[in-house]
Amino acid sequence: MAEGTAIATPGLSSFLKSLKTTPVEPSVAYLISLLKRRQIRNSRQCAVATTALLLRVVGEFKGKDSAKLVERIRQVGRRLTSAQPREVVVGNIVRRVLGLVREVVEDHLDAETNATSDIGHNSQPHNDSLSRPTLSSTISTFSPLKHATAEPLDASTHQSETMSDSGELPKRPGLLTSHTSYVPSSSAPLVNSLFGLFSHPDTPSTSNTPTGHQSPDNKGMLTSLNLERLADFSNSKFDVKAEVMDGIRELQDELDQSDDLIAANALDHIHSNEIILTHTASTGVQKFLLTAARKRKFTVVHVETFPHDHTGTHSVLLTGKNRDHSGDSEEDSFKPLRAAGIQVVMIPDSHVFAIMSQVNKVILATHTVLANGGLVAASGARMIAAAAKAHQTPVVVVSGVYKLSPVYPFDIDELIEYGDPGSVVPYEDGGFVDLVDVENPLYDYVPADLVDLYITNLGGHAPSYLYRIVADHYRTEDINL
Amino acid sequence: MPPKGKKSQAANKPKSGEDEREAPLQAVILADPFETRFSPFTLERPRCLLPLANTPLIEYTFEFLANAGVEDVYVYCGAHREQVEEYISHSKWKSHLSSPFAKLEFIQSTSHSIGDAMRDLDTRGILVGDFLLVYGDVVSNLPLEPALAAHRARRAKDKNAIMTMVLREVGTHHRTKAQGTKPVFVIDPSNDRCLHFEQMPNREGKHFLSLDPVLLSDHREIDIRQDIIDCGIDICTPDVLALWSDNFDFQAPRKGFLHSVLKDYELNGKTIHTHVVTDHYAARVRNLHAYDSVSKDIVSRWAYPLCPDSNLVQGQSYRLQKGNIYKEEGVILARDCIIHPKTVIGRGTSVGDGSVISDSIIGRHCQIGRGVTIQGAYIWDHASIGDGCVVKKAVLANEASLGRKCTVEPGALISYGVSISEGMTIRGEHRITRAKRKRSHDEGCIRSQPDTSIVGIGGYGFEFEDSDEEDEDEIVDGLVTRGHLYNLSDLALSAESISTLNSESEDDFEPSHQRSEAGSFVSIGSVDSAASQHAANFDHDAAASIYDSLVEGHESANIQLELTSLRMSTNASEHQVRRAVVVSFVKRLAQLMKSGSSVRDAVAQVFGQHKELLDRIMFDKNSSSKVDQVDFMVLLQADLAHRESGDSILLSAATKLVEMDVIEEEGMVQWWESHKSSDEEAMRKVRAKTQQLIDFLNESSEEESDDGEEEESE
Repeated sequence: MAEGTAIATPGLSSFLKSLKTTPVEPSVAYLISLLKRRQIRNSRQCAVATTALLLRVVGEFKGKDSAKLVERIRQVGRRLTSAQPREVVVGNIVRRVLGLVREVVEDHLDAETNATSDIGHNSQPHNDSLSRPTLSSTISTFSPLKHATAEPLDASTHQSETMSDSGELPKRPGLLTSHTSYVPSSSAPLVNSLFGLFSHPDTPSTSNTPTGHQSPDNKGMLTSLNLERLADFSNSKFDVKAEVMDGIRELQDELDQSDDLIAANALDHIHSNEIILTHTASTGVQKFLLTAARKRKFTVVHVETFPHDHTGTHSVLLTGKNRDHSGDSEEDSFKPLRAAGIQVVMIPDSHVFAIMSQVNKVILATHTVLANGGLVAASGARMIAAAAKAHQTPVVVVSGVYKLSPVYPFDIDELIEYGDPGSVVPYEDGGFVDLVDVENPLYDYVPADLVDLYITNLGGHAPSYLYRIVADHYRTEDINL
Repeated sequence: MPPKGKKSQAANKPKSGEDEREAPLQAVILADPFETRFSPFTLERPRCLLPLANTPLIEYTFEFLANAGVEDVYVYCGAHREQVEEYISHSKWKSHLSSPFAKLEFIQSTSHSIGDAMRDLDTRGILVGDFLLVYGDVVSNLPLEPALAAHRARRAKDKNAIMTMVLREVGTHHRTKAQGTKPVFVIDPSNDRCLHFEQMPNREGKHFLSLDPVLLSDHREIDIRQDIIDCGIDICTPDVLALWSDNFDFQAPRKGFLHSVLKDYELNGKTIHTHVVTDHYAARVRNLHAYDSVSKDIVSRWAYPLCPDSNLVQGQSYRLQKGNIYKEEGVILARDCIIHPKTVIGRGTSVGDGSVISDSIIGRHCQIGRGVTIQGAYIWDHASIGDGCVVKKAVLANEASLGRKCTVEPGALISYGVSISEGMTIRGEHRITRAKRKRSHDEGCIRSQPDTSIVGIGGYGFEFEDSDEEDEDEIVDGLVTRGHLYNLSDLALSAESISTLNSESEDDFEPSHQRSEAGSFVSIGSVDSAASQHAANFDHDAAASIYDSLVEGHESANIQLELTSLRMSTNASEHQVRRAVVVSFVKRLAQLMKSGSSVRDAVAQVFGQHKELLDRIMFDKNSSSKVDQVDFMVLLQADLAHRESGDSILLSAATKLVEMDVIEEEGMVQWWESHKSSDEEAMRKVRAKTQQLIDFLNESSEEESDDGEEEESE
């Protein structure tokens, strides 16, 4: 609420600018205050800010001890997430980067043990974290099935050792590990093999990348990178930092491209003469629809999303520019759907149920996607989803993988942010202010059973499949920051 | 922290492209509004550190400034300066790691009204460009750019547009609006110019607004608005400070400054504008009523994102639950206690079985017993409430404790550390404190004994008596809406009342007695007020000019020249001249001592350098009865009587004066013997220490008389 047409108001762009000149600690504090003041909001802005900050944190990290690096990132991450626990994306990015560090270290260890096993063993006590039983990395990257042969027990004991070594926080017990463990590392044979029966042909690599050539997924790239380097890697000094920074940059690329990658799926989901219902001024959804609009003609029914996003919605519909993002220089403006020859009908939120019977498909933008397949989206989303359910209209959720969180919604109330009731009831109305309690939730929780399909930058997934992507992207040991 | 500064400046540049942008946005926080509306709490804590929804008030102000992109912040401290400085320097705002401000400085001064503070600011010359003037109790999530842009645009067109007031429009009835004295703004809507300002009821206690007919003929359209929260956010230019300096009698920013500047438009040609906003939150916690309503607004999230669960202060961990219940981590609730909506509970607080809490804000580490009912109350940190108590719409400050089965009726204020014993009922009009008035020698009513009729046997605390009650009808604009309360509070609520007082008894000089003593502006000048009804302005002007000269270290001769011209122009008496000198000297002394000089050094510096000046105000060297010298000493004594360590200052000043031969020994002895110097209790008290000097003088004069009285022949 606090930001407007910013002149002096701090925000994402001012943060990114200051990041270049300011040392790390003030930058962390600055981001925390921006998050607290809600001057950076939206998943995307949070994600961009967090990645940029972590890149800087890693860049300025001194020393070679990867355990310390993990601890440092984790410490920054904890401060950021506690500043604004409802911006789950911040935690996601931190976890992604942590996973990245672990991966780089593990790959390195693998490589070393492969090349010169002596050095590999010697170096283990030095890089005293994250050692795994020696595996041939060539196999591990490509076949989760074969990989499953590694004994889970062994791995978990190893992990607990490393935990105590690096002084990390206590982790969940092994039970959970076996369920959501990370694929290339040793995981439970049962889950993996059962699952592998189906997933193997479709998803050959850990990253589940449907199209290998433009994979934005860092891990795929990283591992292949490592493989290339494998030959001359052995004795040279191993630079964790540089690799992690490369990884973070890839993560940044992923953030940049995710909208386009999602949009690439548009033609599979939107057909001619369909009536599509959507809400909010989400850039991702707009791009998605625009991509489809190039080839097909359909009708869009846009729900106004009053009172939080209606100005944004209006401006997106009229000009294609999201007013709220005007401070964000990266936000490339695009043509409105109307210009692409699509008929757009804007309706107030109250008309959703009435019009739902005519709608062929609902496309929702999200704030956060949770590991159980539920999602947190702009308020009104649940009503739309429920109406869609009543009319058996398919609900498709468009979301970048970065919004997917390993968090389970144990307490839904905690996830939902309540805003200023002033946008619903004017503050001028003294009687109202004094006598009526107005609640104005900014977000809705939509349970998984109301959603039919998720489209991420990795492709389309059923809600029940999301835990899998979570497992691919986050390490179990990082789930509790 | 320069990088931050650069950053936001850099961010500014591409969009504005104006030269004026180059100057960083500065802000002045008036941490002490020089009022007593929060008594008795402000006896022990500065107002800006009182907790509002468990967060010190000044945090909100800083948030607002950070939000507005302010870079340089000057905090103008008044009472309890050490506490404010202590707090801020340990907060995130001061640490160079996390502060969004490039500069955060404290300004200390001896001023005791906003007018003095503004004049002091003017002399310091630190504010170069447009600056924000806010109080240390502003709560706002308002983005300031539109107001700033409008201000700058006006300024570019017309250099005389010196100030923009940011006002929040609310309806006719609103809890957060000022209830007692209601400001009325007359605005020309075509250019947002404020044409007239009046507070209702006005000085005469009437609800009439008299408008200059010229206003009606000059403007095609005027709005007379009362549906406004004056949140005390002003965008000022340095001209504003100059205007303050030009007008020594201005004390209050609205009633004094604004009213007069608007009235004298013909004279000074300056215009003041308004920026009325219709969205976002902006309010001032200007009295207890506002405290109550702003707390409610914050809990109900009207000020979002300034909510408890934003955890503005480091270390807070509030979480929002359904129905606007905010709980910090580590709250212990008994299984069958009931927490109703709109409640905030801080860390470590425990609530016993069967207690019911609603609409209340409870601080950290409070102990709340069983079967307690708390409704609409504000309970600060470390308070304890015994089993079976009922607390409604009251404030319990830190470490206050209630025994079992107490009843606190709506409107009661229980200050720091007060303990109430079992079974007592505290009526709504009670304000109970245990702070001794520091000014007690002035009051003559030290009541450190607990008043058992109020707090019960074994309790500790006594009814707070505001010395100004008679003068100002200082009614704490209470938590409870009571008809008569508002009527009383209408009369004078605040610093505004200072100006009323002054206009009525204009010879009152406001000696700068410690503001921390919170209170009265009654002056010692009244000792001889009858004598100086004429030339009323002289006192003020002369004292101020001498004081300024002292601060800047001008030569005696120059001061003398200025003083003489002032005296001539106002036809002031010699007595007045002496009084002006005494007042300004003592003020300077106090300031020097505050900044760390010892009494002796300060005296030597102030008196020692200005022998010439002192000589020129006493003309009785050659006569035998030293009337002028006695007069001077009496004035000095009277002024010091109200000051901290006045007795020792008097001793060293007297010694110095004798040493310098400004006061002759005879004069000193005559003073000692004069009835004026020993009339009152306070006067006797302050001169007690000087006894040793007199004894010495008596002795030496005996000796000297043997030696031929060389001293006296001079």
